[in-house]
Amino acid sequence: MSGLDLSGREPILRGGSRGPAAVPGAPEKSLLLKAVLREDKVAMPPTGPIPEAEVQALRDWIRKGMEWTAPAAPVARNWWSFTKPVKSSGPASIDPFIQLKLAEQKLAASSEASRGTLVRRLYLDLTGLRPTADEAARFIRDPDPDAYAKLVDKLLESQRYGEKWGRHWLDLVRYSDTAGFELDSYIADAWRYRDYVIASFNNDKPYDRFIREQIAGDEFFPEDPASVTGTGLYCVGPNRDLYPDQSDINREETLTDFVDTTAGVFLGLTFGCARCHDHKFDPFTQRDYYKLRAVFAPAVKTKIALDRLTSLSYDVQGNIREIKLREIGEQIGSIERRCREEVLKGRRPKAQEVRACLSPAELDRMRSVEAWLVSLYTSYRAKPFACGLNDVGDYAPRTLVPVKGQMEGDPVNPGLPAVFGGAEFRDRLGPRETTGPIPLGPTTERRRALADWIASRDNPLTARVFVNRVWQYHFGRGLVATPSDFGMRGRAPSHPELLDWLAAEFMANGWKPKWLHRLILNSAAYRRASTASSQALARDPENIWLARFTRRRLNAEELRDTVLQASGALNLKMGGRPVVPPLTGEEGFNMIGRAADMWVVTHDAREHTRRSIYLFQKRTFRLPMMEVFDAPESMLTCARRDVSTTSPQSLTLLNGSFAVEQSRKLAARLAAEHPEEAALIRAMWRSTLSRDPSTREEAMARDFLGAQSAQTGSREKAAAELARGLFNVNEFLYAD
Amino acid sequence: MPIERFSRRALLTRMGMGFGAAAASSLLQGAGMGPLSPRPPHAAPKATAVIFLFMHGGVSHVDTWDPKPELARLDGQTLPPSFAKGLKTSRIDFTKALMRGSPWKFKRHGQSGIEVSELFPHMVRHIDRMALIRSCHGDAFDHAPAMYLRSTGSQFPGKPSLGAWAVYGLGSESQNLPAYVVMSDGAMKSGPQGYGAGYLPAVYQGTVFRAGAYPILDLATPEGVGAATQRKTLDFIHEMDQIHLETRRGDSELEARLESYELAFRMQAAAPEAVDISRETEATRRLYGIGEPRTDDFGRKCLLARRLVERGVRFIQLYSGTHLGDDWDGAHNDLVGSHNKMAAKSDLPVAGLLTDLAARGMLDSTLVVWSSEFGRTPLAEGKNGRDHHPYAFSMWMAGAGVRGGRVLGSTDEFGLRPAEHPLNAHDANATILRMMGLDHTRLTYFYQGRDQRLTDVHGEHEFTKFLSGP
Repeated sequence: MSGLDLSGREPILRGGSRGPAAVPGAPEKSLLLKAVLREDKVAMPPTGPIPEAEVQALRDWIRKGMEWTAPAAPVARNWWSFTKPVKSSGPASIDPFIQLKLAEQKLAASSEASRGTLVRRLYLDLTGLRPTADEAARFIRDPDPDAYAKLVDKLLESQRYGEKWGRHWLDLVRYSDTAGFELDSYIADAWRYRDYVIASFNNDKPYDRFIREQIAGDEFFPEDPASVTGTGLYCVGPNRDLYPDQSDINREETLTDFVDTTAGVFLGLTFGCARCHDHKFDPFTQRDYYKLRAVFAPAVKTKIALDRLTSLSYDVQGNIREIKLREIGEQIGSIERRCREEVLKGRRPKAQEVRACLSPAELDRMRSVEAWLVSLYTSYRAKPFACGLNDVGDYAPRTLVPVKGQMEGDPVNPGLPAVFGGAEFRDRLGPRETTGPIPLGPTTERRRALADWIASRDNPLTARVFVNRVWQYHFGRGLVATPSDFGMRGRAPSHPELLDWLAAEFMANGWKPKWLHRLILNSAAYRRASTASSQALARDPENIWLARFTRRRLNAEELRDTVLQASGALNLKMGGRPVVPPLTGEEGFNMIGRAADMWVVTHDAREHTRRSIYLFQKRTFRLPMMEVFDAPESMLTCARRDVSTTSPQSLTLLNGSFAVEQSRKLAARLAAEHPEEAALIRAMWRSTLSRDPSTREEAMARDFLGAQSAQTGSREKAAAELARGLFNVNEFLYAD
Repeated sequence: MPIERFSRRALLTRMGMGFGAAAASSLLQGAGMGPLSPRPPHAAPKATAVIFLFMHGGVSHVDTWDPKPELARLDGQTLPPSFAKGLKTSRIDFTKALMRGSPWKFKRHGQSGIEVSELFPHMVRHIDRMALIRSCHGDAFDHAPAMYLRSTGSQFPGKPSLGAWAVYGLGSESQNLPAYVVMSDGAMKSGPQGYGAGYLPAVYQGTVFRAGAYPILDLATPEGVGAATQRKTLDFIHEMDQIHLETRRGDSELEARLESYELAFRMQAAAPEAVDISRETEATRRLYGIGEPRTDDFGRKCLLARRLVERGVRFIQLYSGTHLGDDWDGAHNDLVGSHNKMAAKSDLPVAGLLTDLAARGMLDSTLVVWSSEFGRTPLAEGKNGRDHHPYAFSMWMAGAGVRGGRVLGSTDEFGLRPAEHPLNAHDANATILRMMGLDHTRLTYFYQGRDQRLTDVHGEHEFTKFLSGP
């Protein structure tokens, strides 16, 4: 706020609005020292005095001339992630890069994992589902030396791939079907964006195109609704739009969310600090932040007509419906008037009371109004609109850099942070060209300029950040372990040359995600066994150097989906309105508002067993199973989920209504199909673990079924216990 | 600045990032490195447990803890314009609404002679145990943001709550109960994010205790499954996991998962025992108002709070009021009705809790906090109501060595703003952490590029010294 920047010697000497922050050789004249001594008006840090030893160190350092050991000004521009990735002259595939580091660390790589392990790893990684026992067996027995590479190709072509990898993206863009906060209102068309993301992954949309569509689809491709739907990125976040009494604050928060999400998701930068003051750790000034924010100053949420004809006719029908509804409302009021104002006056009667009070004639009239009302909705379907962004015009409100938290100060133009050259964007003026009869509204094309810069091959961050994310989702850890923080507080890359090589190759090969998957999945590093000697485990507990593969727990969606897969209930229907599964009252405890309003259950029970990505994502409330297994809260971008191990997880998977119901379904089916115990046990193993039981396991299961049948008096109940047990074993919960 | 200090807590911070097998937890007890294993505080704690009584919906300060005779004198008049300036709330306009004197009488209580209204005839018996803070303030005038602000230090949901931070800092004392328990009447305006773990690992989230013998979700064995059957199934899981582990030695996460089933099983016994109040004497039950229709529900919750503290639970957040039903927020239209009803529900049980804790010698180490998300406007809303007022309100603390019978801070003559010692949510949260032996400036978690704190960069008016001081 004072303009003070303490990130180097030069800026300290330059100082802020109160003059130089320090005078070399003269600690007593230095504001910096006065501030920490709290002698003057300025007392820093705000949290309280710092230890005397640190004050003394500061005093000595100033007295001795303030030597700054790090190179001063150019440090930021030379920061590794702010310079373009350089394709080294070294290796031309992943494994030599890894091998080099392993040799340096004197670590021996584990051998390749068994085919049984690989097939399960791959299926879960690419589709979020297990292989069936037959699929697994076919791969294990396949004599083709290219069987693995062919499986990779096959799974990348599966529609399940987009559902798995789309979910990663939805985490990043804080996707939810509701707005959050006290009202938690519906974002009724959010799912259009969800389906857009799934389709984008399935269609192997080049990442640079994906970026342009999401940030500025309306400016790049205004006549292609499918691309404009990408701007839904800015609709599916938290908002308080329905709090009209604080629309000024809401706009602030919305713009903050836009900037933070854009910078975090695409650039791997956290700008949050620079909103209030110059970033103390990264070279971003408050001015830089507001330059980015000015990019969004003219942007507002809008509805996107997905198809001109149907959308228009929807509007026509809606227009007529609106008029009819007004008439219907009037008629209901007039039918009920006698009862409400004469018979039941003086209190607030319940709907049933009013109903009971109606005379036969009134009831007749009411029924005909009801029939009319129903007729209005017989062909009512989800609206042919998506939610997206556009500019209010080719002008924008001024963006001011606030001073002391007040919205007054210097105006800034939209543009890039100084560390990236600081270019300013010029607004586009006047009408846009169109191929159709409908004129396109004017727009500033500020977001277009930003997207062009982000999606450019000259951008030092974009490709690195993306390949690192993909790497992280495959290996459990990114080459940069802080996937959304490539700034100076983030972790340094473990394999910087590999990261740069991947980024450069990714761009050179057309920014194609599936190309990148293929490259990674076919590496020896990905195919290693997850077992290692205890010595190797101790040497590299975090598996930074990738001598082995990192075992992982299935995430919340994978667990739910694979349980459904095992029980046979999984419904693979794709897309459409979010599915709201039933909840017990206990499960819905503490949900905001009335369940009847806030949790409108989908009537068709077949829908309840669809893949988790299609379930209603409520920002203030997660399904118990999703919550305990670390599904994100979707208030902020989530680049990496927690992986916790807690007893509520065990309780949910052991006793929760979902697991119990599915285990009973599985048991009912298999017990009827297999009257022989051995066949039943085999089928159980194949349904849950995609393999046959070992002799030892079969004996165990036989004893178990015998004992539980005796206990429960029912073979089917015993089988349900076996199924419930198998849903809870580590082999089911983890991928090697 | 030292970039990384390899304290155990710092290591746990990194673990929150979920790095693979070795970083995995060994859960509750085990090797002492699990996310819930007990950890030493920064300094000797005054409180080993906290019971936070959260009055959901907004309690009127000028009708309870903060007498304002000026309001009665100027009843029906508008505020002097200089006072109304800059204040904004949910429904009323501060420049137009009329001042309204309290319909309740105030009286001096205890040796200290602190003035409190007649709404809390039982709590005031403990006035000499309470440190009353009359100068709380905030800036969020809707319920959910204000509740988040009080509990998490931010108006925006998704940040870790006070209880989560406390357990993150200290771990769990209990081997078979959650360390952070929440009890509420359901349908809270903040939703579960009011007591969530935010960006801290999910293990630190508050566990909701519901009514009934099995207070934790999915604690009871499924319907139609007997105890022996359940045990056999658990044994089967264990046996399968042992086989699985044979070829995967040294994976502490897999081992932790095995333990988590055992813990779940222990919890199935421990939690019903903890909530079973049938062994409590009739006198104790009466103390909490159990058996009386008005006080039974909250009385049970208060008694449970004591029983949980006895069993090593670290932090208990107890809400009175619900979005759908009886709520302090009924004061919008009916100040007298709502406050009479809500006070009658909770006054005796809270007093009983303090009496019981003191009688058992537990009050010395248990901090009891009473608060609301905001106060209510000294100005009338409509004919019979008061609107939300975040700019000044009251809270109190007792136990854990708090020297009672004293008042910290004051408000102006109308109860609009703090006059002395304005204290915000950060100050209160910093104080509560300090009472638990935690330094709020050192309790950090690395997230989004920086070391996050419950109190952000604030909490500079922490009032721990006042609580125990002269």
